[in-house]
Amino acid sequence: MKLAEMKEGERARIVRVSGEEAVKRHLGALGFVAGTIVRVVGESYGNMILAVHESRIAVNDATAQDVEVANV
Amino acid sequence: MSKSVKIALAGNPNSGKTTLFNALTGSDQYVGNWPGVTVEKKDGILAGHKEVIIQDLPGIYSLSPYSIEEKVSRRFLVEEGPDAILNIVDGTNIERNLYLSTQLAELGLPMVMAVNMMDVVKKNGDNIDFEKIARALRCEVVGISALKKDGDRMAAEKVVEMAKKSVVEKGPGKLPDVPHVFSGSVEHAIAHIEESIQGKVPARSIRWYAIKIFERDREIIKKLDIGVGEMKHIEEHIRDCEKELDDDAESIITSQRYEFIQNLMSKALTKSEIRKNKATLSDKIDRIVTNRILALPIFILSLCVMWWLAVAENGPGTILTDWANDGFLGDGWHLPFTTHECREEGKYKGMEFEDAQGEFAKQDASKTAWEEAYLEKVNEGKSDEEKVDEMPEEIDEKVAATIVAKGVFVEDEETGEPIAKECDCEKCAAKRDAGDECEGCGCGCGEPDLWDVDFAAYKEAAEWEEPDPGQFGVWVPGISALITDALDRAGVNDTVKSLVNDGAWGGVATVLGFVPVIFIVFLFLAFLEDCGYMARVAFIMDRLFRKFGLSGKSFIPMIVGKGCGVPAVMAARTIENERDHRMTVILATFIPCGAKTVIIAMFAALFFREQWYVAPMMDVVGIAIIVLGGIALKKTRFFAGEAAPFVMELPAYHMPTITGIWRHTWNRLKGYMLKAGLIIFPACVFLWFVMHFDFGFNLLEDEQIEQSILATVGGWIAWILAPLGFGTWQGAAASVSAEIAKEQATATLGLVAANMEGASTAAHITNLFGSMSDFPKLAALSFMIFNLFIPPCMVAIAVTFREMGSKAWGWIAVGFQLFVGYVLALSVYRLGVLFAGGGFGIWTAVAILVDLWCIWMIVRKGSGK
Repeated sequence: MKLAEMKEGERARIVRVSGEEAVKRHLGALGFVAGTIVRVVGESYGNMILAVHESRIAVNDATAQDVEVANV
Repeated sequence: MSKSVKIALAGNPNSGKTTLFNALTGSDQYVGNWPGVTVEKKDGILAGHKEVIIQDLPGIYSLSPYSIEEKVSRRFLVEEGPDAILNIVDGTNIERNLYLSTQLAELGLPMVMAVNMMDVVKKNGDNIDFEKIARALRCEVVGISALKKDGDRMAAEKVVEMAKKSVVEKGPGKLPDVPHVFSGSVEHAIAHIEESIQGKVPARSIRWYAIKIFERDREIIKKLDIGVGEMKHIEEHIRDCEKELDDDAESIITSQRYEFIQNLMSKALTKSEIRKNKATLSDKIDRIVTNRILALPIFILSLCVMWWLAVAENGPGTILTDWANDGFLGDGWHLPFTTHECREEGKYKGMEFEDAQGEFAKQDASKTAWEEAYLEKVNEGKSDEEKVDEMPEEIDEKVAATIVAKGVFVEDEETGEPIAKECDCEKCAAKRDAGDECEGCGCGCGEPDLWDVDFAAYKEAAEWEEPDPGQFGVWVPGISALITDALDRAGVNDTVKSLVNDGAWGGVATVLGFVPVIFIVFLFLAFLEDCGYMARVAFIMDRLFRKFGLSGKSFIPMIVGKGCGVPAVMAARTIENERDHRMTVILATFIPCGAKTVIIAMFAALFFREQWYVAPMMDVVGIAIIVLGGIALKKTRFFAGEAAPFVMELPAYHMPTITGIWRHTWNRLKGYMLKAGLIIFPACVFLWFVMHFDFGFNLLEDEQIEQSILATVGGWIAWILAPLGFGTWQGAAASVSAEIAKEQATATLGLVAANMEGASTAAHITNLFGSMSDFPKLAALSFMIFNLFIPPCMVAIAVTFREMGSKAWGWIAVGFQLFVGYVLALSVYRLGVLFAGGGFGIWTAVAILVDLWCIWMIVRKGSGK
């Protein structure tokens, strides 16, 4: 499942991050690595606010399409 | 002299670095509640240790360069090599923060980790075992609360101690103990790489370099100049790892770092169970504030609130501005709570000051009306030479007895000043037009309220003297009054008086008069930024910005630009993509900055008191230009292509502290006021000289201002502005001088309008625009828009050139801004005139054609990638 398909309030485990290398690196630094749990805090027209560790990360819809997740 | 010790302060954005920096060095750098506030490195001396320099680095998430800030920080840490690192870590989000810490530890420098926000950690019921972290990362760990100034000194003392020890011990051969966080095969590969780069890199940081090479970091590989054969060998090891772990090298490193941290945290962190994965208050606020329907209205509403506070009629901003202009900087003011009705015997006894002023104005109007009528009568049938223009000492009683003036006391629409006026009801006006004497209001129109001023009434009116403010409370004289007083007492001549009053002080006073408005705008912005809302605005705007090829990140410089364009252009550096970066620099200064706010405030007060929406509209217009300009630019081949993806951390909302907001506001306000002193003051003196002298350096009388240097030079370029409705030398002089600093436009207008009719600067300026165009309001609007949207002040232009990277790009930016400002002013004025019934001219046609061309540039299909 893609991160972009998740609904507000849902939790999932990150499986894989793809996409442009530099962005992937940045996402990795922010905690978007395989195994991390994400929770969707809010969603607006595909753009999402995500809870990763204790921080809130906002991503646009295209980025949310690049993150593969699995149900917890 | 002992050698100075350098300590780098490194940590994630928003982890409290700047707060700690301020606490340790006693400086007052601005702390923001969003990532990317510290763009450049700042140095400070550790309080109590003259030899210790603390260096505040931009906040970073990793030592892999993603943004320009990360590059700056990394280069500094790796190449300049501080003596020790003070790594500040947000204790409430320790797992994510440790990701950077593991990398910092690998640099092999002495390091103290300061786990910040321990007060919150404890309140949350969490527990962090510093011992375990210290052992795993091979550094000292101290718990602190930078905000509460708890433990920060201890952390500083510790890092200083370590740094000094390492300076002494820094000898060859001694390798620091750095943590090993990776799995067997990766460690194996890293060991091989370490072997092959030995001697090429500083020994203590060899592990860090080796890991970077494993990640195939291009910058490092290029710098180390590793031989082709060697690199091939290294590449084999990397590939083996990738094959074994089924991932690319960089992801392996990232994942294993997090695995290491998670492992460590499972032992070192006990989280209170209750809070886990629950929506926090911040989350709940975000659900409303970033809601797809409510987000934009809430943002626009907050802009309107700001403008209401700053410039709305009867709003706090206006009240403070009036006090500043008329009271503090003007004639004077009554201390609050000391005002009382007049107790002295006399005409004003029992009246409040305002009523007394009104009564005096009314009497004065009657007196003036009668005197005018009297002089007219006396001068009847006389030749120009014989005419008198002042009231004689002895009034001819016979003539006086025949005079009954029609006095009307009205307030001047624009200035609120009391004036005497003839009845202008339709019937009376028709009579006057026909050449008949208006018989007063026998016409029955009922208003305005005319009264007869006969000789007796005149004598009574003439007895009224201006009320003495001292009789109505504790009167504090204003600065203008004090200066006039001092000049009178010094007995200087009129030229010096004019230089001081109109030139030096007048200009500065005009600018200082807007301090209340600026203060409120800055205060409001500080609040929005410090509470965390501004980061959300970037998120909200991302969807919109993406439509014209920018990411929401480009909005941050534009928000900063609300305060000042210079940091705004610099803040654009956080944008990783060069194309996005340039476009942001070009567009960021279209948001009216603090100085432009002064222009808006002045015009809102003078021309648009009833149109409250004009002021916030300027922000909306700014955003609209950014959107439409962005779309048009994106369609040219220079800027074609997708915007970089939006990934941004949103800090938790928190109630800003009063000291924080005050520091933030004061820092900006101080800059504004210093500018009034350092730039506006000399500029005004210079302008006064070019206004009062001609090219032969002859001192001019007030009526000869048209021959002044300023008028002549202004005249040369006025024709360019003629299509915009303010093409006089005054309009040109104000616009050009505004490039010194935008608020200079208001100061210059005050100066060049000084010999217009009217009792106050406000009236002068109103009348100035009246003299420029048949549609003064439109000319004023056009002037304001022109000055808001042409290139910003010189300083901002200089920074723009620097950030654009080349002269050619700089000119593209400035050329675009000039075009936008001119076309916008032209369209507003010409189309406005057309709709106001002013007719269709050649410039109306030009405006329409250019507008159509712009629309085409916006809607056409782009030239693609």
